[in-house]
Amino acid sequence: MSIINNALTGAAASQIALNTVSQNIANLMTPGYTRQGTLMVSQRATQAGTVSPGDGVKVPSLIRFSDSYKSQQMWQAASELSQRSIPQPYLTQLEQVMGDDESSINSGLDGFFGALNAASVEPTSLPLRQQVITAAEALAQRFNSLNQVLSNQQSSVSQQRVSTIDQINSVSKSIAELNNDIAIAQATGTNASSLIDARDQKIDSLASLVAVQVVEQPDGTRSVSLRDGQPLVVGSRSSNLSVQANPDGSQTLKLAFSAESFTITSTRLGGQLGGLDDYERDVLNPLRQSVSDLAGSVAEKVNTQLAAGYTMSGATPTPAPPNGPLFTFDASGSSGVLRVVDGVLAADLAFSSDPTKPGNSDNLLKVIDVKNLSVTVGSLGSVRMGDANTQMVGRLAMQSQQNQASLATAETVRNQSEESWKSTSGVNQDEEAVSLMQYQQMYQANLKVIAVANQLFDSTLAMMAG
Amino acid sequence: MRVASTQYHTTMNTALQNASYRLEHVMQQMASGNRIMVPSDDPVTSVRIARLNREEAALDQYKENIGALRSRLQQNEALLDGSVSDILQARDLLVWANDGGNTTEDVAAMANALAALRDSLFYSSNSVDQEGRFLFSGTATATKTITLDPAAASGARYTATGNSDSQKVVVGNGVTQTANSTLQEMAPLLNLLDRTIDTLRTPGVQVNDPAVQAVLVATLDGLDTGLNSINTKIATIGGAQNTLQTLEDNHGNVSLSNRQAALTLGQLDYGDAAVKLNGYTTAVQATQKAYAKVSALSLFDMI
Repeated sequence: MSIINNALTGAAASQIALNTVSQNIANLMTPGYTRQGTLMVSQRATQAGTVSPGDGVKVPSLIRFSDSYKSQQMWQAASELSQRSIPQPYLTQLEQVMGDDESSINSGLDGFFGALNAASVEPTSLPLRQQVITAAEALAQRFNSLNQVLSNQQSSVSQQRVSTIDQINSVSKSIAELNNDIAIAQATGTNASSLIDARDQKIDSLASLVAVQVVEQPDGTRSVSLRDGQPLVVGSRSSNLSVQANPDGSQTLKLAFSAESFTITSTRLGGQLGGLDDYERDVLNPLRQSVSDLAGSVAEKVNTQLAAGYTMSGATPTPAPPNGPLFTFDASGSSGVLRVVDGVLAADLAFSSDPTKPGNSDNLLKVIDVKNLSVTVGSLGSVRMGDANTQMVGRLAMQSQQNQASLATAETVRNQSEESWKSTSGVNQDEEAVSLMQYQQMYQANLKVIAVANQLFDSTLAMMAG
Repeated sequence: MRVASTQYHTTMNTALQNASYRLEHVMQQMASGNRIMVPSDDPVTSVRIARLNREEAALDQYKENIGALRSRLQQNEALLDGSVSDILQARDLLVWANDGGNTTEDVAAMANALAALRDSLFYSSNSVDQEGRFLFSGTATATKTITLDPAAASGARYTATGNSDSQKVVVGNGVTQTANSTLQEMAPLLNLLDRTIDTLRTPGVQVNDPAVQAVLVATLDGLDTGLNSINTKIATIGGAQNTLQTLEDNHGNVSLSNRQAALTLGQLDYGDAAVKLNGYTTAVQATQKAYAKVSALSLFDMI
């Protein structure tokens, strides 16, 4: 009775298909879920003769609708996106701090040189001289505040790098474990689709932490390595990244895989890790250097000019307080890069160029002119002291603007790659509704076939009985 | 292209997020009236505005300096005016004393009047500011302009101890203006007066005596020279005031054009912003309506 057998295989196949449809509909909203289809193959005839149509239908396996090229694209986009999105909050914070004209170094310099200008009205007036010292303190305070913001950012970047490394290690380990589970499932003939989804999502998370290269292996596992080839996951084994803090405040990355250990010197790590590197290397470090250079130049030029003059009592400024230099500069200063020397007295500002003429303001005029001197400031090169901060903010603004543009592009690319991935692997509910109806009809048709076969059988029996 | 059902939600979310970002940006701009919120909104313009602000700060200081300098010059002028009227009085007295009809008692009385004028001139030459610094001592502000040595011989008691250097005040970028006047020439004048007073007080002094005449004539000449000199200083102060006025006007004009430029560069065009706000709002509403329509479509409603 091949009719009943054929119908039975049809009913069984449609049940598998309905089951698959139900799984797809259940996972309609599941992120990263890859829809499945039912692969149906007709069974060839086992009976001899040319009039045997075949032995029904069989379902050798389910189809996983996935395109690994689209997954790769999505992962690359994830790396690019987080490489651009990680530095943006840092850039915006700096822009807000440095761009605020009221609290900037610029207005500190305006205040200081303004006080010097005011002192030229009556160079021997103690209140006017005191105002110079007060303005100098305000200027130093501005440098120190900005320096504080920059060093807070530095430690924040370092901490974020450490926590990124921890996440990379933990995600790598999960991928290795899932690889292992997938290899076992496939070897024992179990559907590994949900394991593959879970693993690919982990790879997606990893890609946003650091840019990766993913290679599919014949056993269903995926090997993951950094852009420059250092391995993160090979089969069921994962490597371990670590951060080593250097005395100069920088950090060195190390990767240990099995018995081997590498130092990672790459400048194209990509992802969150690469974004942190980029920000530190291209923005933060040069800016810290520029602020430090500018503070150092202010201290040096002002002090040098004051040392060439005479105080109100006709004395030459000494290297030590009280009638010593106005500023002290300390590049590594934990309490600040620029300070006004303790105990500087208003009368000891050396504005005169003649020890016998306290009212002489020739040296004061030269101190005022310091603002127009060229100073060498970090990556800006030689700039006018009064314009250095403006140029620093200008450069920061350009860098931020560029990053925002790249970020917007990366967002679009990531959205498109997600959309493209979903167009292959995502569930469409209308499509599933159609399948649901079709397979339901298929099931009903096969049961009808069994009923027909049954009637045929009954008719035969009735004939025999008659 | 095949579209997954969740794509509608994703697209909707992205569209709403983008719209909210734009709306928030326009509203921030409208609330502050500034076109540029952070420098990266327009790096080149924000550099320009920062430079204008620097120039403004310097101009403000120059204008303040000019104000302070003007009152200082006015004070100098008032003191010099006082000295001029003292010298004129002294001159009148001397012209009178020169009259041969004067008795010894007359000239002695005149000598007393002259002595008062001499002391007045001496004190105004040694005028000090609030902090006790000598106004007319040039840059030697801690030193008296004229020092009196009562023990010295008549005609040499007064010595100029200040200097004739000028104090320069910054009133513009690289522009300085002299703020002080010096009165070194007051010393010979005071010595002449002093010698005249001593001569007139000599008991039994005869104005017609050629020696006395010589003293009187020399002093008259000295007073004329001093008067010329001080009047020149007063004229110089007047000139300086005019220069300062011109400079102040110039600074004001530059400042005005700077402010206008900063406004043009940094101020929000409200019309433009309102149009944008409208556009973004319409876009959000349209997206929301489209989403409501699309998400209501489901084959499951039919089966």
